[in-house]
Amino acid sequence: MEENKVDMFIMVNGKNFESHMVPQIREKLLKADESKWSLIQSLDFKNPTMLLIISILIGYLGVDRFVIGDVGLGIGKLLTCGGLGIWTIIDWFLIMGATKEKNLQKLQQYT
Amino acid sequence: MSRKRLYITVFLACLAGYIWLGVSYYFTWAGDGQWAGACPFRHLTGMPCPSCGSTGSVLSLIGGDVGAALYSNPAGLLLAAIMLIIPLWIAGDLLSSKSTFHRFYIDAEKRLAARRLAIPAILLVVANWIWNFYKYL
Repeated sequence: MEENKVDMFIMVNGKNFESHMVPQIREKLLKADESKWSLIQSLDFKNPTMLLIISILIGYLGVDRFVIGDVGLGIGKLLTCGGLGIWTIIDWFLIMGATKEKNLQKLQQYT
Repeated sequence: MSRKRLYITVFLACLAGYIWLGVSYYFTWAGDGQWAGACPFRHLTGMPCPSCGSTGSVLSLIGGDVGAALYSNPAGLLLAAIMLIIPLWIAGDLLSSKSTFHRFYIDAEKRLAARRLAIPAILLVVANWIWNFYKYL
């Protein structure tokens, strides 16, 4: 892919990935085929900050886990009163990392 | 989620569930038989959460009273089924070096994320929550 397109992608979506993964993502995108550009551009990445807000407000019901696609963990959180509130608090610290990991998995599916 | 991580998470969750059942059984038995539960949401806001009554439901089920279990919270029956079946399923998988539960989990996550199943499931949870307001407010 063209360098300016990849850099534009990194500029727009860099915050949605772990910072130490960004150089690797850039390398991979540069090697990727040009035909994948429109697909990669249309991917919907979850914003980690938004997920943190969701987690603080309604993480108790497992909504944060449902949003990033961890349906099983979401159900677990919902059925156990957010793990008696303990899991809810732990997830405030984990959810941003988990979101970035899910975003990376999504990108890897298409590159 | 990888197979190993899933099995460890589910095993620890079930273990915590059994410990929690023991603790809550002790509190119910040591007290006057009426225990308000430990839901932090209910203690903080005074309002029940969608899962309030689940522990009581599982305890009623152990006592053999299915009617009381359903009244406390129908989700308790789902929890009891999960806590009974899944540890055995995982043990079976580990003994035979298979990944049947892992495959089932991945497949179930995909199916539940589809709108066709997710919307009725959300409506069911909301309906159960509204019922909880009538019972526990």
